[in-house]
Amino acid sequence: MIMKRLLEFAGLEPERFQARWISGSEGAKFAATVQEITEQIKKLGPNTKMRDTDE
Amino acid sequence: MPAILKKDNLQQLLASLSQAYKLVLPVRENGMTFFRPYQTGLTIDPDYINTATSPKEFLFPQTEKMLSFKYRESADISITNEEPHAEKLAVFGARSCDLAGIAALDPVFGGRFPDPQYSTRRDNVLLVGLGCRRASASCFCQAFNIDPLACAGADIAMIELEDCFAIEARTARGHAQLANFSQLLEEDHSGGVKTSLSSAREALNRSFGSLPDPAGVKDFLDRQFELPYWEQIASRCLGCGICTYICPTCHCFDIFDVTRGKPDGNRYRCWDSCMFADFTGMAGGHNPRPTQKERVRNRFMHKLKYHLDRYEIGGCVGCGRCVEKCPVNLDIRQIINDINKLQGVEVNGQ
Amino acid sequence: MSEKKAHQEITAKLRAECKRLLETGTVHTVIGFAPGSMPGRTVPVFITNPQEVAQLTWNPFCAANLSKYLLDHHQPGGKAAIVVKGCDSRGIVRLLQDNQVLRDEVHILGIPCRGQYDHRKIPGGLEVEETEPLEQGTADVAHPELHLEKCAYCENPTPVIYDLLLDDAVAPSTDSKGRFTEITDLEAKTAQEKSTYWDDHFSRCLRCYACRNACPACTCRECVFDQFDPDWVSKRNNLTENTAFHLIRAFHVAGRCVDCGECDRVCPVQIPLRLLNRKIIKDLDELFEAPTPGTDLNVKPALGDFTPQDPDEFH
Repeated sequence: MIMKRLLEFAGLEPERFQARWISGSEGAKFAATVQEITEQIKKLGPNTKMRDTDE
Repeated sequence: MPAILKKDNLQQLLASLSQAYKLVLPVRENGMTFFRPYQTGLTIDPDYINTATSPKEFLFPQTEKMLSFKYRESADISITNEEPHAEKLAVFGARSCDLAGIAALDPVFGGRFPDPQYSTRRDNVLLVGLGCRRASASCFCQAFNIDPLACAGADIAMIELEDCFAIEARTARGHAQLANFSQLLEEDHSGGVKTSLSSAREALNRSFGSLPDPAGVKDFLDRQFELPYWEQIASRCLGCGICTYICPTCHCFDIFDVTRGKPDGNRYRCWDSCMFADFTGMAGGHNPRPTQKERVRNRFMHKLKYHLDRYEIGGCVGCGRCVEKCPVNLDIRQIINDINKLQGVEVNGQ
Repeated sequence: MSEKKAHQEITAKLRAECKRLLETGTVHTVIGFAPGSMPGRTVPVFITNPQEVAQLTWNPFCAANLSKYLLDHHQPGGKAAIVVKGCDSRGIVRLLQDNQVLRDEVHILGIPCRGQYDHRKIPGGLEVEETEPLEQGTADVAHPELHLEKCAYCENPTPVIYDLLLDDAVAPSTDSKGRFTEITDLEAKTAQEKSTYWDDHFSRCLRCYACRNACPACTCRECVFDQFDPDWVSKRNNLTENTAFHLIRAFHVAGRCVDCGECDRVCPVQIPLRLLNRKIIKDLDELFEAPTPGTDLNVKPALGDFTPQDPDEFH
């Protein structure tokens, strides 16, 4: 929560950083979470900040 | 004999310069002054004594790509050298101390094996010096016999007077450029510039505080390597890189590859600082400068002795940036004074 | 009491006390302030000889937080005396809580503080005529507008931990409304505005690491930014790397930053680093009702502790 708020404060989309509590036995939950987050990230589009550059 | 540039014509001079060169000039930003690229209407900070960072970054950038490499199992490693940066750049408003700083860098990157990146940038730069109007509390260039009005090493030298600038070309490049501005310049028929110059010099001299005397320092340091004094200085030092990064003559760099886990990558060189603990760290873990004492000693020995040993040119130009910015007030002028005192003890002790 | 009298009296008291501490062998070193090389500056000094206590001084240009020097000057079985202001004393709590220094290795000389001047704000630069009255306290009026930003709202003018207090306690700012104004102002901006704001500042960063080295919460022996492998952040100076450095630095001290403002003070290009840290302090206050770290030795850092009542977003 602190990290997300810090990212937002610095002008980044906080949704790009997410934390979930998933145990090793919760395979289905893991898969669903990854799918959910992937969709959210796709909606956000490419990140414009902190890109790797060759400068 | 310098010509006269009316203050009203400065803007036009900057505009014309910016057509032949990429122009950087001292601009006020966040309460400090930095060299920033010219845009139409932008003018120099009228109050700056010196810029927060030195102009060395235009000849020796903090980060510079050297080459890129590709590795394929079927073929050899292919290496593409980065083309030296040949953009024509004009640095407007460099102070005498910073011009002396560039003169101190020249033999480091020149010499028998010239550095292609630095040399190319150096060959393409036009240095427009601007004499100082007053010294700050941290200025001490005069201690090293640098004349803050002379702009030695500039292609074009300027001095701001009451109502005009005195302007003079010093090199072929400077003459060629100044010829383009002839319609902006006037001759000093009345000889008024000479009078204004001497009063400007008087005012400037008055603004300097007491200067340290570095005359005997190198001689003493030649004999004295192990001084307990350095421990005293090191105990205060935070080990940050402020002094080295804002210094117009510090030139250490580190070379490394960025590969991001792939077989392809780029090689860079970046400024490094002898104040950092890992500066002399070696493969295997040995560090010949294991504590801040050795690091601090190295910095001040470099400024006051090593650079003179190697190039017969001073490693400190008295710009005062490190004096101004050190968070714990480590003042190289104080260190010169302290060394002079230690020298007195040495003499009297014999 | 006039400011002048206070400064001189405190200096005299400080010297006498340090002389006694060194002579009796109560402490092996005194870490304090001495007059600097220019008007408006002071330097840290480390005194081991009781004859040298006259070097010590106290005036409103003692802006540095000396607490980090304890890392180099604490010794098992002996004590180092250290001069602290209220904000600095939170740095001592930081070092104690992080087990960097033990309580019986340090003798804390607390000085209640009415605000420290920022030498960069002295009009016309550093002229002796202007700074001397401030240093001596002979200025007709105190000049709060010349204070460091952090002094505008001070939670602890009086040290939160000390062995001896050298002056009467000073009451903290009571108007808590303005505590986070600069944070809420920036929070209210759009993502694009915030992004531009930080890009402007971070692109100026020299990566000198003064902010890290001055910080009493940054005590790792080996820092991730000094390591080559893994290549988290390289030495390249560009906006991406600089942004990564600053976000990592701020988050690394999250919940431990005591808001002493040293990062702000030492930055040679005046990046408002304290804003990042204070944003986190504000959020910790909102989410965990955590006080400013270092205020109380018995309150563990919010992110270094767990209670079932802690808010979370995990499902």
